Amino acid sequence: MLTISKKNELQKLLLITIICTGFTILISTLSGKEVVKSVTDVMYITTTAAFVILSAILVLRFKKTGDHGKAWLFLLGTSVSWFLAETTWTVYELVYDKNPFPSIADVFYVAGYPLMLGFLMYYLKPVRKAITKKMAICAIMISASIAIPSIYMAYSPEPDVTLFENVLATSYPILDSIIFIPAIIGIALFFRGEVNFTWSLICIGILCFAIGDIGFQYATFTNTYYTGHPADIILMWSYILFSFGVYDHIRIFRKSGHSNENKHLDSWR
Amino acid sequence: MHKISQIHAIRITAKKRSYEMMTFQKRDVMKALTSLAIKKVLTDISAPAYEKVSKKLQKEHKCYIPDCYDHPEYLESVLKSIFGNAYSAIVEQIKVELAEHVDDNGINMLIKTMAK
Repeated sequence: MLTISKKNELQKLLLITIICTGFTILISTLSGKEVVKSVTDVMYITTTAAFVILSAILVLRFKKTGDHGKAWLFLLGTSVSWFLAETTWTVYELVYDKNPFPSIADVFYVAGYPLMLGFLMYYLKPVRKAITKKMAICAIMISASIAIPSIYMAYSPEPDVTLFENVLATSYPILDSIIFIPAIIGIALFFRGEVNFTWSLICIGILCFAIGDIGFQYATFTNTYYTGHPADIILMWSYILFSFGVYDHIRIFRKSGHSNENKHLDSWR
Repeated sequence: MHKISQIHAIRITAKKRSYEMMTFQKRDVMKALTSLAIKKVLTDISAPAYEKVSKKLQKEHKCYIPDCYDHPEYLESVLKSIFGNAYSAIVEQIKVELAEHVDDNGINMLIKTMAK
């Protein structure tokens, strides 16, 4: 009962955070593009910093033990990579007043994807035998159905868009769809389990990432993008969802005060 | 004649006792082996996963890891509640670890109960 009420509280807090984030950016938009740019950039750094801190707490808790220990280490790498990407983006935009796409920030954004894939793979590794062919095919099909229109929308035939920009832009939805496959499998595998909430948040977070990326690329190529664009709200939601997912895992596997006593009792009775 | 039969009776009782002791010891060994197998599989996932399962067993079923030898259904329900559908892969791994001791009735029962 206590766990259910705590989970409900967490869900409420998540909903409030998501709504507040959206409203803050929307209200800032009314104050002008310069204001919304600063607000959004600061919020990006704050949310990714929270993601880094929570992942670090989980890494310290798991201490590289077993496959899940390694998985959380990969997730810490992902969060650090995306934190660096957001910080670089902000520095380019607010300090140097330059267009940050494409820039060194993209290196950090892209680097986060293989690390995220590593996290998903290592987390699923101990339960890989429960993955059925049907499950894998379904996940690939769902992912492909999102990826194909995303790639189509991200690719720009405009002559002023360079080949490098096009390749970079289309690589994001491809990478999103790749990490979406194990995320869907995870939801099916951990269905009805306590860890399923974490996986649901990670999966929805990846979906938000894919939608946000498409929105960003589309707005960039149609010259309608500004920092604080609705696509940014969706991208920020994904960081919030990841952070809450990690927090939920900390809550589930938190150290109990009686762990030493338990170890003693479990050793042999 | 009466004395001989008495000695014979004593001998039989002693044999019975030693057999009971052996069975008791074997049971303890099998219980320990089961605990080790569960611990190995869970710590291969992560140490906090083992702690969580252990804590939940105590909280919900008032038992400890070695008691899963007699009550495999407790372990099954705890694994299900934490890992959802993926519990079957963990159970499968525990069965692999205990495969060479299937001749023991307790372990055989444990495998059969968790395989349902």
